Amino acid sequence: MFTLHELRRSASLATKVFIQRDYSDGTICQFQTKFPPELDSRIERQLFEETVKTLNGFYAEAEKIGGSSYLEGCLACATAYFIFLCMETHYEKVLKKISRYIQEQNEKIFAPRGLLLTDPVERGMRVVSFWAVLCEGTGLTTSGVPGEAARKWGLP
Amino acid sequence: MPAESGKRFKPSKYVPVSAAAIFLVGATTLFFAFTCPGLSLYVSPAVPIYNAIVFLFVLANFSMATFMDPGIFPRAEEDEDKEDDFRAPLYKTVEIKGIQVRMKWCATCRFYRPPRCSHCSVCDNCVEEFDHHCPWVNNCIGRRNYRYFFLFLLSLTAHIMGVFGFGLLYVLYHIEELSGVRTAVTMAVMCVAGLFFIPVAGLTGFHVVLVARGRTTNEQVTGKFRGGVNPFTNGCCNNVSRVLCSSPAPRYLGRPKKEKTIVIRPPFLRPEVSDGQITVKVMDNGIQGELRRTKSKGSLEITESQSADAEPPPPPKPDLSRYTGLRTHLGLATNEDSSLLGKDSPPTPTMYKYRPGYSSSSTSAAMPHSSSAKLSRGDSLKEPTSIAESSRHPSYRSEPSLEPDSFRSPTFGKSFHFDPLSSGSRSSSLKSAQGTGFELGQLQSIRSEGTTSTSYKSLANQTRNGSLSYDSLLTPSDSPDFESVQAGPEPDPPLGYTSPFLSARLAQQREAERHPRLVSTGPAHREPSPVRYDNLSRHIVASLQEREKLLRQSPPLPGREEEPGLGDSGIQSTPGSGHAPRTSSSSDDSKRSPLGKTPLGRPAAPRFGKPDGLRGRGLGSPEPGPTAPYLGRSMSYSSQKAPSGVSETEEVALQPLLTPKDEVQLKMAYSKSNGQPKSIGSASPGPGQPPLSSPTRGGVKKVSGVGGTTYEISV
Repeated sequence: MFTLHELRRSASLATKVFIQRDYSDGTICQFQTKFPPELDSRIERQLFEETVKTLNGFYAEAEKIGGSSYLEGCLACATAYFIFLCMETHYEKVLKKISRYIQEQNEKIFAPRGLLLTDPVERGMRVVSFWAVLCEGTGLTTSGVPGEAARKWGLP
Repeated sequence: MPAESGKRFKPSKYVPVSAAAIFLVGATTLFFAFTCPGLSLYVSPAVPIYNAIVFLFVLANFSMATFMDPGIFPRAEEDEDKEDDFRAPLYKTVEIKGIQVRMKWCATCRFYRPPRCSHCSVCDNCVEEFDHHCPWVNNCIGRRNYRYFFLFLLSLTAHIMGVFGFGLLYVLYHIEELSGVRTAVTMAVMCVAGLFFIPVAGLTGFHVVLVARGRTTNEQVTGKFRGGVNPFTNGCCNNVSRVLCSSPAPRYLGRPKKEKTIVIRPPFLRPEVSDGQITVKVMDNGIQGELRRTKSKGSLEITESQSADAEPPPPPKPDLSRYTGLRTHLGLATNEDSSLLGKDSPPTPTMYKYRPGYSSSSTSAAMPHSSSAKLSRGDSLKEPTSIAESSRHPSYRSEPSLEPDSFRSPTFGKSFHFDPLSSGSRSSSLKSAQGTGFELGQLQSIRSEGTTSTSYKSLANQTRNGSLSYDSLLTPSDSPDFESVQAGPEPDPPLGYTSPFLSARLAQQREAERHPRLVSTGPAHREPSPVRYDNLSRHIVASLQEREKLLRQSPPLPGREEEPGLGDSGIQSTPGSGHAPRTSSSSDDSKRSPLGKTPLGRPAAPRFGKPDGLRGRGLGSPEPGPTAPYLGRSMSYSSQKAPSGVSETEEVALQPLLTPKDEVQLKMAYSKSNGQPKSIGSASPGPGQPPLSSPTRGGVKKVSGVGGTTYEISV
């Protein structure tokens, strides 16, 4: 049994494939849909692309500037931003959706293929990483620890 | 203000923010205390209310700008940083809306800074969409809190203007009581307000322009887009709405940790691999930009799977029937974009520190020829052994170790595939190939999916950690494992012949294991020829045996004693000349048969230089046979047939020292072996022509072998 933390340390158990951000449209959050060759034998191309495109869609929705985000801003201003103590922002709501989606994808699609998708928010949304479990013969239980990066960073 | 753990408390950095706070709060309090009561009477009670609201707004934004995380990127973890600092290029370029933008490597944070990100030296953090570090709020202004800072400026300007205006109004009302306390205080407040108004308004105006243009202070001050196009702008309205109306970005630090448990348990699903899908790509996560790939698709496959050598070869895939088909379909994506920067152009050469090997092409990395055969074995995951074999082919010429030094040295950069596996001799090369070794490790790990060899795992472990130390890779202990492992369970090709893409030596070993009976009767006086005929069809074997009988009947010829050695060497070393596997006369056949038969236990007689007639014919022009029944490659063993019409050629097993080219040639020869004499290889003359020698009749025949070796065969 291994935790994700242990997985991180023991390189022999998992190899990591990083999918970088796609900056071609500016700083909006989207990830490259190009299929990494390391996953060639692990997962079908369409599945991968579909996953990344869905994620991109989620992020686009989070960053969407529209009526709801405007109203949210006005409300926040009006309450001197005390509203943020009670309510979570639209972006955070979408991030939760993303997190649920990733969890679901991991359970349904990636874990049966020996892969694990990490939430990009843990790494500052710079990369999405796939962890490919190396050994067929090893059963792993992983516990995702988002924010571990933050915790690590916070350490002196 | 982000806490700086581990740093000394510096009071000096809190001076500006304290001063700002004091002035703001103090002056406003005085205003409310002294001026507002009068104003509420004289003008309207709405005045203090308005001022209170504005002041509240100022305070809220001030607090948010001060205390909110500006968008600090967490430090990248080690696994993301796969390359040595010294080897990674300092800049990467990415194209944003057609404009090349450089991303600089941040040594502190260990990643390439996203566009518009900058590292704040005061806070020692990389901040997303870094604007500036504001001393008045003692915080960086970045993506998350720029809105609050901007609103703070706007509201502060408004507040100052309000305070000044209403104070002036009050003073005008009490112009005759200027010495009064309230008036005096109001005048003092007005002075402070007036004093701060000029810089604050200036800054506000500056930021209004920035917002309208879609730039950050950093970009404006450093002149990034001076005279150029700003790729980050979406038009004035969109820029403004983006600043003011977008949903606040999330923080990256200090996110709540959620424990998620996912069970990953084999067996793992695998995608179907079709012929058209087999491609070989080795990516290094884009750090080094594109890798140049040659058309030798298999080469990478070999090298990449090198580390899987330790594994016993997997059972043959059932699709060996697609052997040739797969070969043709193998393809490397030659110009695949790096995974890091999809559409990137190559990295900016400025301050470009590059690992020497990276830029070298992968072409020379491996044996193009043999690799493809390995790949054709089916699933790329199953390649490792065979690929390793072929990759180690050159080394077999010298010794059975994984040290094809000369072979690999020119291909340094991309031959990282080999590096982790070479034992002992490559510490330096390994160290410099760290990044690629990492990639290799990744790829290998993926490829090794279907294998369970512990040696593989350990090897993969080594390569994975290779970025840190390659010591474990330098132990030669693995290399013997590879070889033994490889040789042992090598699956038999169903076609009944030794794959030309295997090293001859392996083929020999394999066949020896498979058909020990054939060598059992080997004569003691002769060391068994490395040539094997195990893979010959029964028909061929039968005809060989026939010839053997014939030979036994014929008297031994002079000079035969030396034949063995010569024969052996000839056998072994005339791939070049031996391309003549051609047709042979009956005499040639008999002459040749011994050669082939050696491993089958024939007497030494069956050696090259047999009877004059035999040999001579082989060497001489009229004889269609090649002198090379030195076994060059395919030796024709047509039984007693006219030279020109070899009904079938019995292909001899590969010589031990087949060159890759020879292997290809052999393959070609084999595939065409239906009675047609073939000239294999460039050196092979036409049928009936002596290969590389000038035969001398009735005396000593000289045959040139590979590498210029000349053999004299007395006939």
